[in-house]
Amino acid sequence: MTDPEINRTPALADGTAPEGGMIEAPKRTILQESWALFRKNRLAMAGMVIFIVFFIIAVIGVLLTTGRSPYFDAAQVRLQEKLLPPLAKASLKNLHSDEVPRLGVYLLGTDELGRDVFSRMLQGSWVSLTVGFVAVGIAILIGVFLGGMAGFYGNYRIRTGHLLMLALLGGGIYALGSGKIVVGAALTVLGTALVGLLTMNRRVSIGLPFLLHNLFSVDVLIVGLVDIMLCFPSFFLILTVVALLPPSIYNIMAIIGLTSWMGATRFVRAEFLSLRERDFVTAARALGISDWRIIFRHMVPNAMAPVFVSATIGIATAILTEAGLSFLGFGVPPPHATWGNILSDGKDYIFDAPWLTFVPGFAILVVVLAFNLFGEGLRDALNPRLRERR
Amino acid sequence: MLAFLGRSAIQKLITLFFVSVVSFLVIHLAPGEPSQINPLNPKFTQEVLDRYRKEFHLDQPLQIQYLYFYRDLFSGKSVSWVDNRPVLEKILERTLNSLPLFILGTLITWTLSFPIGIRAAIQRGGLYDRTTTFFAYLLISIPGFFFAYILIILVVREFHVSVIGMDTFGLSAEGWAPPLMDRLWHMLLPSVLGAAGGIAVLSRYVRNQMLEVENQDYVRTAKAKGLSADKVHYKHALRNALLPFVTMFGLILPGLIGGSVIIESIFSWPGMGRLAYEAILARDYPVILADNFISAILVLVGTFISDLLYMVVDPRIRL
Repeated sequence: MTDPEINRTPALADGTAPEGGMIEAPKRTILQESWALFRKNRLAMAGMVIFIVFFIIAVIGVLLTTGRSPYFDAAQVRLQEKLLPPLAKASLKNLHSDEVPRLGVYLLGTDELGRDVFSRMLQGSWVSLTVGFVAVGIAILIGVFLGGMAGFYGNYRIRTGHLLMLALLGGGIYALGSGKIVVGAALTVLGTALVGLLTMNRRVSIGLPFLLHNLFSVDVLIVGLVDIMLCFPSFFLILTVVALLPPSIYNIMAIIGLTSWMGATRFVRAEFLSLRERDFVTAARALGISDWRIIFRHMVPNAMAPVFVSATIGIATAILTEAGLSFLGFGVPPPHATWGNILSDGKDYIFDAPWLTFVPGFAILVVVLAFNLFGEGLRDALNPRLRERR
Repeated sequence: MLAFLGRSAIQKLITLFFVSVVSFLVIHLAPGEPSQINPLNPKFTQEVLDRYRKEFHLDQPLQIQYLYFYRDLFSGKSVSWVDNRPVLEKILERTLNSLPLFILGTLITWTLSFPIGIRAAIQRGGLYDRTTTFFAYLLISIPGFFFAYILIILVVREFHVSVIGMDTFGLSAEGWAPPLMDRLWHMLLPSVLGAAGGIAVLSRYVRNQMLEVENQDYVRTAKAKGLSADKVHYKHALRNALLPFVTMFGLILPGLIGGSVIIESIFSWPGMGRLAYEAILARDYPVILADNFISAILVLVGTFISDLLYMVVDPRIRL
């Protein structure tokens, strides 16, 4: 966001140029202006504060609950102390000295196996945090890549030759992988030759005109991909894949990420389509700057505002999805606690031990709410239309 | 117009084809296969396994399996691997169970969202607006299963009615009224839960649409010429703000076969979401794939209808 271009545009757009013809830079940068706007939104500020607190708690939580002898032991079973309400004192008579909880008190009570809910919540906060960030990180990477391709190279045509090349290379690698060395090598060599042929001048491949037959543009391909993904009911798809794969937190992160990049792709594509026509991109082209540098140094920073907003809200959705999966029993494998599976285990004791439902439930609610409010606040603060109206 | 219809239909058919391929690949390329679902069962000898795999074409290459599956699906012969019943019959039966929840939920959503959104927009920045905004965020953020348990505790403690399942087990009251009331109580919570997110999103959308229209020149003109506030808001502004909502009738179509997995699991409601969940657990590929395929069709038909409606209600749009 500190790209110089972004600071220059409002000065030109506002027409704040003084009589002398010299264009004066605005007193405040866009970042400062957005921040001032953001700070006025009390709900969004509260969201940000909760977000920071949650971040710190999650980091401290993972430090205190992992290792060989963790400070808070989330897995310590004390059957004689089960289903104690929050703030209950541990009875020192019944417990071994190494079973006594660190604080002597069960801050948030114990569950049906006598495990300390407070330690388990600490352990689970890290899962929620990483699932949210990693899943959204994957989604954003895919989104920026595909959206950028569609927005920048959208007019490029995909030709018959390209598809043939992909088929040959793919078939070759598949054949190599399944042990048919000769066939695989032949296909791979053919495919590589085709790559060379296609990258060379048009006149070279004039002998094979069918290879140059235009099929569809890159834009059509990527928009089609987005449309295909949007046809799947997302939670059902995630549930299916998670259930088929071996249970692991990394699978869940990857799957949530791989099924939620469509929004980011659309935003980046739309931004790129408008940025592509701007003067600073033309200027950069005229200076002979390479495409990659134009994309990453000049266009991506300017296209990130809507992506950040959707990322913040995406983290909230990812946390909810992970909690839902854990609740259905498809989450992280059992000894490890997550907010979803604490709630899921506690649901059988809903009338006798309501804290097992309410503690994780409220934690998820507060964190997700914070992310949503923060994201909406960002959206308003980064929206140029609102800034002008002020 | 006709050209648009044709182009759009072809485009959607291509998308549907790729959806069918992708969902087929996702399911079949995942590690493990249905014949391994219970490896410890002593009755599953190698011969039984081989017969099983042959019966369901699992020994064939993927592309052949794909053709077999969609041939069976289109000719209605596809059967569930769990109980050998036709897939479409199973899905229809469960969809009919989910339908009342969907209808009640949609009614609640649409009847509540509009008044809330319109009032929030008219009193922009006021106490009502801020309160509903906050509650909308709250409803979006609350995990459905947590909200479900709060409501269950509330209803069971306060009203002493049972809410799990479709009917109270062993209810033997005279007449038609008690069973009906019982069914309504059982429907209420899942429907409200299904509607909660919808109310939050839709009421915000109504509010934003109203605000957009209230800033237009013709609304200012209407105010300036001295019309009453009601007339300005409801005749001049609201009618124009309603435009995008007509198209949303197309977008609720996929909900017909949706059915929430989590909510139906909590309430033991034998609907579509439960069927999908059971099918996933049992690796019942035909049911999973058929469900996926039908919901993809509904999504595509829904967007098609909404494009059409947009063209009908808004003469400015020419595709």
